[in-house]
Amino acid sequence: MSTRQAPLRLNPGRFLVFATLAFAVCFYGIPLLWLFVAGTRSEASLLTQSPFALGDWDSFVRTWNNLTTYNNFQILTWTMNSLIYVVGGVLLSLIACIPAGYALAASEFPGRKLVLIFTLIAMITPSTAVVLPIFLELNMLGLSNTYAGLILASGFFPFGVYLTYVYFSTSLPKGVMDSARVDGANRFQLFSRIALPLARPIIALVAFFSFLGIWSNYFLAFVLLSDDKLYNLPVGLTALVSGSGALSNLPSNDVPIKKPEVVLAAILVVLPVLLIFMAAQRFVRSGTLSGAEKG
Amino acid sequence: MSATAMASDMRAVAIDRARKAKQKGRRDTRMSYLLLAPYLLLLLMFGLFPIAYAFGLSFFDTIEMVFWGVTNYQFVFDDFRVPASVVNVLAFVAIWVTLTMIGVAVLSLMLDSINRKTANTLRTIYFLPGAVTSSAIVVLWLFVLDPSVSPFQPVLHTLGWGTRADVIASIGLAGVFAIMAYFSASGGWIVVFGGALASLPTEVMEAARIDGANRFQLATRIKLPMIWRSLVLMGILSFAGGLQLFVEPQLMGLAGPQFAQNDWSLNQMAFQYAFRMGDFGASAALSTLLVGASIIIALVIVFATKFYKID
Repeated sequence: MSTRQAPLRLNPGRFLVFATLAFAVCFYGIPLLWLFVAGTRSEASLLTQSPFALGDWDSFVRTWNNLTTYNNFQILTWTMNSLIYVVGGVLLSLIACIPAGYALAASEFPGRKLVLIFTLIAMITPSTAVVLPIFLELNMLGLSNTYAGLILASGFFPFGVYLTYVYFSTSLPKGVMDSARVDGANRFQLFSRIALPLARPIIALVAFFSFLGIWSNYFLAFVLLSDDKLYNLPVGLTALVSGSGALSNLPSNDVPIKKPEVVLAAILVVLPVLLIFMAAQRFVRSGTLSGAEKG
Repeated sequence: MSATAMASDMRAVAIDRARKAKQKGRRDTRMSYLLLAPYLLLLLMFGLFPIAYAFGLSFFDTIEMVFWGVTNYQFVFDDFRVPASVVNVLAFVAIWVTLTMIGVAVLSLMLDSINRKTANTLRTIYFLPGAVTSSAIVVLWLFVLDPSVSPFQPVLHTLGWGTRADVIASIGLAGVFAIMAYFSASGGWIVVFGGALASLPTEVMEAARIDGANRFQLATRIKLPMIWRSLVLMGILSFAGGLQLFVEPQLMGLAGPQFAQNDWSLNQMAFQYAFRMGDFGASAALSTLLVGASIIIALVIVFATKFYKID
């Protein structure tokens, strides 16, 4: 690519491009920026001051205490639950996806094509389409409303299998594999000694997508979990809002959860993903994701 | 050694080798399935079985547990709320898919035409709202659409909207849900298309430029046709995902009972049947129809297009 830049002229076309891009910056950026600023402000400030007035440390601490102590430290329980679901689910999805993707890429066996086709169909079918069937099934098995039920269900991640399959199809060194086979290595040794050490990028990628899906899973958790002690953060956030009426602009009640507390709870849901996005920026930009996105 | 003896010897070796290869093949197959086992178990448990179970359940009166044919389907079709939710969901999907295809294409092409460093920064800003998902999207946008606290307060006031109810009534629920979904989901696609556009062959661009194409012609005549197929795939995937809409309408009630939309979308109806009415059969029937639609779309993508390569 040439690095020569066009001289800066503002013709109508360029103006339109920059105006559109700036409009998009406002659309995507302002709500997010507002969310983080609002977390430091008091209810009165939210309602009367300008939308981007900064808050102060005292009101932030007060809000934080109101939120965390409410209902016997409920939000901390939900945060803990979210961590349990996400660690369990991501580990399970890795244990299932990495060997499966490898087997599909590295060997020929009867039924391989069928497994691949089922994987593609399961991957393209939106996961929300199977939420109620999964509830009906787990309800029959007595696994609804348990940690195990939600972790098992979120460990099923066909997209991760497909990613691993594509990765190993293109990156396994055929020569090394063949000579290791001649030297008597069996399939499992080939996997553990040659494929796994190469798999670090794909493990990171599958863990990344699996984390995103599980951390923000609302529909399945909402349907499966009826005990509020088992809620994850996204479900907890809505329980908090509907229990306090904080967003309804109705006459106030004496529940300490108001708008600032809700904003802070929403930040708790969003922040971990945001941090991971920032950390993953390099590989997000490098185009590792090209063709790797699922709707 | 005579020629015949040598030939028979060689045949023996060949047979032996074939037998060994066959054994090795069987061992390999066994090992492949061992590596696949955890995944296949999950595929069975959370892919095939729930769908088959819901399909089976949809033909039963689940309260008395007796087979009653297509009665559940009849019940679902006779429920006046179901056609209404079909219209709602189609309106949402139409707006959302249009917004996504135009928004992502326009922004991606524009980003590709400006200086690379600026483009990267902007792309990151567009991508970050992807961190706001599920219930957090709705909570955030209930603030954003409320003129008393919204960061877009001046705009909302200029448009003459004084309350959240005004805003929602003017934009319409389908539009509101489409904006929420677009806000969170489009940035990831813009990153994907950024990568796709950057990897287009530069010779074609150079040639077009030498032929006197300006940036606008380059974007619309050369780049757009080259990413068109991927844009269509994005549209189909968004369409399939949009049919399953649940979270956005379900959580409107957070803004107060007057905003609640408990039977707005099809998935919400399936949820209502199971949880409000305790009628798992009707829920299974509607879920089966919804999963069926998704699977048909998936089959079309897998077999009628070449978007996903297997071998």
